[in-house]
Amino acid sequence: MNNEKTQRGLIMDRMSKRFAKVTALNAVTLTIKPGEIHGLIGENGAGKSTLIKILAGVYQADGGTASLDGVPIPLGKPAAIEAMGIRVIHQELNLIPHFTVAESVFLGQETTRSGGLLNRKSMRAAAQKFFLETWQINLNPDSLISQLSLAERKLVQIARALIDGAAKLVVFDEPTAPLEVHEASLVSDAILRLKQQGIAILYISHYLNEIASLCDAGTVLRNGEVVGYPDRATLQDTDAVIRMMVGRDIDKLFATREHSHIVTGNETPLLSVRALNDGQQLKDIHFSVRRGEIVGVAGLLGAGRDVLIDTLYGLHKAASGEIAIEGKVSRIRSPRQAIRAGMALVPRDRRHQGLVLPFSAADNINLASLPANATLGWEHRGRALDKARHWIERLSIRPAYPLIPVRHMSGGNQQKVILARWLGTDARLFILDEPTLGVDIGARSDIYECTRQLTEQGRSVLVSSSDATELLGLCDRILVMWRGALIADLPTAGLTLDMLLATINGGQEQAQ
Amino acid sequence: MKVTSALANPSPGEKTARQSIAWLSRLGFALVTLFFIIMFSWSSPVFLTLDNWSNLLQGSAILLIVALAMTLIVSAGAIDLSVGVAIDFGAMMALIALKTWQLPWQVAVLCALLGGLTIGLVNAFLILVCRIRPFLATLGTWFIASSAERIYTDGGGAIAMRRMAPEYHDLAVGHIWGVPTPVMIVFVVWLAAWLLTERTLFGKRVRAVGQNSEAARIAGIADKRTVFWVLIAASTMCAIGGIILSANLRQFTPLAGQSYLMDSIAAVFIGTAFNRQGRVSMSGTLGGVLFLAIVNNGLNLMGLNYLVKDALVGIILVVALAVSFWQARLRQQHV
Amino acid sequence: MSSEIQNLGARRLRVLFEKIPLILFVGLLVWLSIQSPYFLSWENISRMLLQSVPLAILSFGLVCVIAAGGDDVVSGGIDLSLPAIAVFGVAILSLGLMEWQLSWPLLLLAVVIASLLCGGINALLVLIAGLPPLLATLSTSVAFTGITELLTGQRRISVNSPLMVDFRDGSLLGIPYALLYLALVFIAFQVLLHHSRFGQHLQAVGGGKDMAQMSGLNVPRLTLASWLIAAIAAALAVMPLLAQGSGSSSGTATPLLMEMVLATFLGGAFSRRRVVTIWGALLGAVLVNALSNGLALLGVNIFWMGAIKGVLILVVLAASALQHKGKS
Repeated sequence: MNNEKTQRGLIMDRMSKRFAKVTALNAVTLTIKPGEIHGLIGENGAGKSTLIKILAGVYQADGGTASLDGVPIPLGKPAAIEAMGIRVIHQELNLIPHFTVAESVFLGQETTRSGGLLNRKSMRAAAQKFFLETWQINLNPDSLISQLSLAERKLVQIARALIDGAAKLVVFDEPTAPLEVHEASLVSDAILRLKQQGIAILYISHYLNEIASLCDAGTVLRNGEVVGYPDRATLQDTDAVIRMMVGRDIDKLFATREHSHIVTGNETPLLSVRALNDGQQLKDIHFSVRRGEIVGVAGLLGAGRDVLIDTLYGLHKAASGEIAIEGKVSRIRSPRQAIRAGMALVPRDRRHQGLVLPFSAADNINLASLPANATLGWEHRGRALDKARHWIERLSIRPAYPLIPVRHMSGGNQQKVILARWLGTDARLFILDEPTLGVDIGARSDIYECTRQLTEQGRSVLVSSSDATELLGLCDRILVMWRGALIADLPTAGLTLDMLLATINGGQEQAQ
Repeated sequence: MKVTSALANPSPGEKTARQSIAWLSRLGFALVTLFFIIMFSWSSPVFLTLDNWSNLLQGSAILLIVALAMTLIVSAGAIDLSVGVAIDFGAMMALIALKTWQLPWQVAVLCALLGGLTIGLVNAFLILVCRIRPFLATLGTWFIASSAERIYTDGGGAIAMRRMAPEYHDLAVGHIWGVPTPVMIVFVVWLAAWLLTERTLFGKRVRAVGQNSEAARIAGIADKRTVFWVLIAASTMCAIGGIILSANLRQFTPLAGQSYLMDSIAAVFIGTAFNRQGRVSMSGTLGGVLFLAIVNNGLNLMGLNYLVKDALVGIILVVALAVSFWQARLRQQHV
Repeated sequence: MSSEIQNLGARRLRVLFEKIPLILFVGLLVWLSIQSPYFLSWENISRMLLQSVPLAILSFGLVCVIAAGGDDVVSGGIDLSLPAIAVFGVAILSLGLMEWQLSWPLLLLAVVIASLLCGGINALLVLIAGLPPLLATLSTSVAFTGITELLTGQRRISVNSPLMVDFRDGSLLGIPYALLYLALVFIAFQVLLHHSRFGQHLQAVGGGKDMAQMSGLNVPRLTLASWLIAAIAAALAVMPLLAQGSGSSSGTATPLLMEMVLATFLGGAFSRRRVVTIWGALLGAVLVNALSNGLALLGVNIFWMGAIKGVLILVVLAASALQHKGKS
């Protein structure tokens, strides 16, 4: 029966991909019909990025086949895949700020007259026509990219993929993640209109509300395997979708959290943030952290977690609002001031913001407490090394040689080095930004243990993480951010993962 | 968030090949220097004499001081194109103090240091207050200060002082315990610089800021303050070079410091080839300066026309820089 | 779009700030023309235009390197060796005409080959050895100058070849040959960089290397091309430079370097996109020359001129560096 009509659309049949010991994709089957918007849903690490990279031509598959409109896809060959009509709209915009809209749309596919001369007139006209006809948007093709809003830039990126009219399958990777609410709807509407052109669309997003409103069908991945194909009706039920994403297995990585270390009563909170606003992304943030508490900050990409952390630590300028440590309002305009107020930051990009890579482990560990190992500026190398050895042992940092440059260490050990840097100081509020990103299981549990020990000493921890399970197991309370605003402050006692995920992905506090 | 693909493990064959390339490249520069020494001693019997080497060391004293200053700057992640005028201002202030103001030589030395300090302050103002990047800022300081020199001397004439205080002149031509004074001065400066960068907290902060200023800032290091002191220290060191220069010639020649700029930059970067980790260092720079001095001296002894020598030195400089950067690249890939 | 409205006030201020070098320059020129009535005379203007020919052509070359390398002065594309390459070419021509008794076509070919070799060396240092363009071209300019001085023996070589004299003094329909030459070279570069697909790709490489790579452009090949094109520009500047100096003299490279950098970056302030452009460089070269000319007319001490130009370079480069921070 299938021989009678050509199978139109994308068919991925039992695709598998392995990296060394890790199976990223295991026999994944996915079909998208032309004109269908298909959602790809799954947690971080479920296999979505691997799938996208296969479709972009970066990877070959280890097993299975993929075809578009009946023609096998030449995996691993980006140019051939693009020629077939498969386009990937990546998360990063990668546009050149001083190029015009027309130039950006036609980069690499310029219209020329004889002799290689640009035919600017026709490119301008074509670009303008495209925006008008596809989206009813009148965008001046001579505007510079630097003059456009984020949403308009996203549209330019999309236009670039579609202008030649040969696109048959378009993959959108988190298209609205960095956008504000009304900009996000502009882009989603734009994607909706592409349906009319008969293009098959693969839509990857953590924003389940968008998936619900846009997609005709979906595929849910978990740990590299397909766990379900929700139809349009099922997609409207966010809880059901989350249950599919997460399954019933929650990591037994955490012992039951004892909340006894939290100082209760009317004592002044260690950290008190009021009406924090940066004039761009953060909108009126209020929260506080008590002594001995571990507070988590959850939220999707672009929700504002990173801006919040940066603003607290003086890396980003606050427009208005108040930050108080133990009741004393401090003006925090630089990391030094934050440190003086009692804060310590383990940054999210350990290679570029945390470590001085060519330095040894000892040098990195001592970096925040240099005067403690010196007299009048003269370094006591012996003392510094001893200190480093002490922390290396306490945190089980491997390799256990303090003089090895940290660039040779694994991610987990590097993270421990940065943590060790602050443990010896008298910092009272530890801010951990994505502390276990790219960190192996063993190091993870070491870091969690260390975090718990901090609270036993009366210190507090603020953890920002994209891993909801981790936050649930580690924290006493979880703050949830959504597009720049703090929308929920949830105590973890009695909170289930479903409820947490629903809040993170759904944008509203879910009733218990 | 980027997903990094797992790297394929290199085959054992590939590994040893890479290791030997890295080892060779580290040795490379030492071998090249050895080659030059052998070639020069073969072409001129004078080359390997004590006298010649004493001359060589004395002649490279000023360059070494300037290169040390440049090393400090580059360690902090910047570059300084105004070292030449810092030398000049040092020499100029010393001559003015001695000749015009008739001050004792010790005060003249102080004035020279103040002259260098001024250049450093201008740089600091442009870089830290006006937020202009170091290359542009020091470029501007260079232009403005050299114009100031020309204006002051009405077109570039030297300020000479025949009957200069002998103690001052001795700074360049005298001896301390048998060692030529400039060499002694330079040795002390080198030692101080080495101790500063390798054994003090300040040196650690400088290197942290130079390698990753963002991480240094987040760890609480006062990056601006550190850069300020680096700029001041560097320009003041160059002024010491100006003292030796003016003491030697017994005059201040405007723009005489110019020729040290390119050589000092080259010495610093060539010096990375001598350092185990491939970073700039005071000992590496010493190696770089010696390399340049050997080449210069050897070519001189060969009796070449000075134009031929200049051209050859220029070419050798380019090649030396290319080699030292290329082997740094190789090393990075290996690691 | 709401954030745009919020930033409008800040943006207007920034636009004003970026135009400061331009305002400064125009202001200076206005002041000069008031101080010296001769300044705006027809004779003087045509003299200024003629004087700016070699500078303009060298600046075109620099624009190409910056366009393909990004306009961050330290880590991006910059070629400080272009004046040295041009002076080298002038030396070859002068010696060839006066002492080696070689023919024009042969000598011109030699100049082109020598320039391409120099450009190739620059490209090698940057692409293969991995030197930052600043350091690479700084060191090659010293080397090229050293070779030039060796060739000429640091002597001044006067040339009186009739062809050169004709180029210097002759004119067609009232327009001096040199200006016609400039017009041709200008058109060629303007079309190449701003109106051809190749030029568009060059700009893409400089504007965003990753983006260019993802769009399928051959980044290493385009970068190499930019270095070679710049060297060709230096070769094209040889003839007017020779004619202007009526021969070869040592020490011509350094002042040219300062002015070339100034003219190129000043030109960047004229373009809507705030990037360096060919026509901007032409305008910049004319203005820089006008400044020197005007100051000389006023009898300003030549060393003050250096200081003023130095300050101007600082302001112009700083403004472009600041706006680079404000971008993205």
